[in-house]
Amino acid sequence: MENALPSSSVSSTLEPVLALLAYSLTKLETGFYQIPGSAVVARYVKSSHQNDPGRTILEVILIIFAIRTLLQSRTRSDRGGKHYIQFGDKEVDELVDEWTPEPLAQPLTEWEQKELASIPVIAGPNGPKPKLVSTGKTVTNLASYNFTGLAGNEHIKERAVDTLRKYGLGSCGPPGFYGTIDVHMDLEKDIAEFLGAEAAILYSQGYSTVSSVIPAFCKRGDIIVADRGVNYAIQKGIQLSRSTVRWFDHNDLRSLEDALQAVERDRKKRKGPLTRRFIITEGIFERDGEMVDLPKIIELKNKYKYRLILDESISFGTVGRTGRGLTELYNVPASQIDMLVGSVANGLCSSGGFCAGSTIVVEHQRINGTSFVFSASMPALLAVSGSEAITYLRNTPSTLSALQENIRALRAVLEKTEGIAILGHRASPIVHFSLRSVAPASLSPASAATPAGKESFDVDGEERILQEIVEDALANGVMLTRAKYLRKQEMFEPRPTIRIAMTSALTRKEVEKAAGVVKASIARVLSRRR
Amino acid sequence: PIPPPPNLKGRQRRGSIVKVEEVGGRTEELLDRNAYVNINANWVNAKGAWLIHVVLILLGKIVVDTVPGMTQQISWTLVNTIYLALSYLMFHWVTGMPFDSELHGGAYDDLTLWEQIDDGAQYTPARKWLFTAPILLFLISTHYTSYDPWPFAINLTALIVLAIIPKLPQLHRQRVRFLAEDIASGAQTPVTPN
Repeated sequence: MENALPSSSVSSTLEPVLALLAYSLTKLETGFYQIPGSAVVARYVKSSHQNDPGRTILEVILIIFAIRTLLQSRTRSDRGGKHYIQFGDKEVDELVDEWTPEPLAQPLTEWEQKELASIPVIAGPNGPKPKLVSTGKTVTNLASYNFTGLAGNEHIKERAVDTLRKYGLGSCGPPGFYGTIDVHMDLEKDIAEFLGAEAAILYSQGYSTVSSVIPAFCKRGDIIVADRGVNYAIQKGIQLSRSTVRWFDHNDLRSLEDALQAVERDRKKRKGPLTRRFIITEGIFERDGEMVDLPKIIELKNKYKYRLILDESISFGTVGRTGRGLTELYNVPASQIDMLVGSVANGLCSSGGFCAGSTIVVEHQRINGTSFVFSASMPALLAVSGSEAITYLRNTPSTLSALQENIRALRAVLEKTEGIAILGHRASPIVHFSLRSVAPASLSPASAATPAGKESFDVDGEERILQEIVEDALANGVMLTRAKYLRKQEMFEPRPTIRIAMTSALTRKEVEKAAGVVKASIARVLSRRR
Repeated sequence: PIPPPPNLKGRQRRGSIVKVEEVGGRTEELLDRNAYVNINANWVNAKGAWLIHVVLILLGKIVVDTVPGMTQQISWTLVNTIYLALSYLMFHWVTGMPFDSELHGGAYDDLTLWEQIDDGAQYTPARKWLFTAPILLFLISTHYTSYDPWPFAINLTALIVLAIIPKLPQLHRQRVRFLAEDIASGAQTPVTPN
């Protein structure tokens, strides 16, 4: 009885609480049954319950989850809400007060000002020996693309003036909408016949030609196998096409074969369908003057069933017996190359570009080549200049042998120069040379032959040295240029080089003299630096 | 240096058994999606697109009930599971757009219809309805029958696996891959995009 006392006291204190609870529950129940329709709800819940508490609990959890979902507020969409910072009003006011507008054009850095000031201004038309405005002296032009000496050709100039009198200057429209003149169609036919292709299509700007051809054929889901050293226009075309790209080492056919095999392995593993596959490379690379082995690439493309897009912007009009490009040099029919892209601006000294191929390839681009559809066509006089240049190349193959002799003469002098490394194929009309990297004695002796990317180079430092060489050469009568790139935008950073564009308009003596000047400038600048 | 032939490479690490990876978030895909209206996905906000669920379920129930020898349990289970299976197939299995691909250039190829609705915004009215409809169907079906344990379990599992889990915002644009091979073939030749 002693132990029972605390429990009874506990129960005695709890009794009023329990009585209160029971009373309030009965009050709630009577109140509930007074609400109209409550009997229906009670009957519903009872029949749902079906004497199964587990099921009821599950259903109640589901109901609570559904109600919670319904009460959530809407979030932002994928469209760009990810970086949205919610500022309060006071913070917005503060930010607005602090804001000062930036100038539309940023002031130039010191290096950019120097670069701008160093561009030479010439008086009169461009040619192999232009006259400078600043000093009045004539200099030898080794910087502009004038490979077969057609810039300033008198006969072409006369024909262009006649065409200007006949057609006026502008073509007043895109090629698909009143912009095609008969001279455009003539030039397309001339190019196709010259190359031995079925048809050709003209684009009005040479630089944007290949970046329109690639997205016309390559779409998302297709596979592109591209060389690492392709130029910026091709890189942009590939980016626009949204295809999957596999990069192979620069001008390395074994790496290309590896990449083709890797693609096939991937596809088999994923059991995917067969998509369109392309190999994209340049005939002569603008970046360093290397030339591809065209027959080997065609053999690989036929073996693995790829299409080939060949960018002959530099090699059309410059290599081969009559300037037809790599197809003539390697004696390969142009029908083997699916899309042959070339530049009328570089090779024929006019303007614009073209894509040659089968009739289907060309007809497809008349609707799907963005630069063809959305840009104005080239002026009639430039189309006539292009046609005349082709006739000239056909009739005067001696210009090309003169060009090759000049290239040989230049390379002979430059190869004996110390401190620089010459890049590129010996028949390439574009000769790049870069500073030879100072290799420590412990490394292997082949320093200039190391593949790009394996050695690190100081871009700014080398650019400054090369710029000094350019200015020194200009002071001595030879106009050179560095190869200029959009740094930080290229896929794989190129080495700073000086790019010499050889021309057949100079005699061999002039070339040797100019090469001597360049060699002396290099020696002077490098000895100053040491 | 010549790369070694692939079958002589050393022991390759196997990927994990289950891997959750995000798809469809690359910049160029986002840019391409913003170009035009997504006609594949904005019909869920149209008039009648919500009512059609109710109408189709009723029709399905009537058709299933006409089969002789049909009990209420089997009938409701069939309607429930067929509805869940078909809506899973339509909203969560099939990816991409069946319409002309020139407008978007294949930017939606990795996204299911659920992920395309309202440009990926969560808890929009259409999504809330599509979330609630299977739950309501399940609750109605358990109210009007007294399920044995097995049919109840089938219905509940189907609801959770086919209707609730794929629609959760945490799984937006995530894919669960089993035994994914993450060995890059041909590592000497890099791939863009990777």
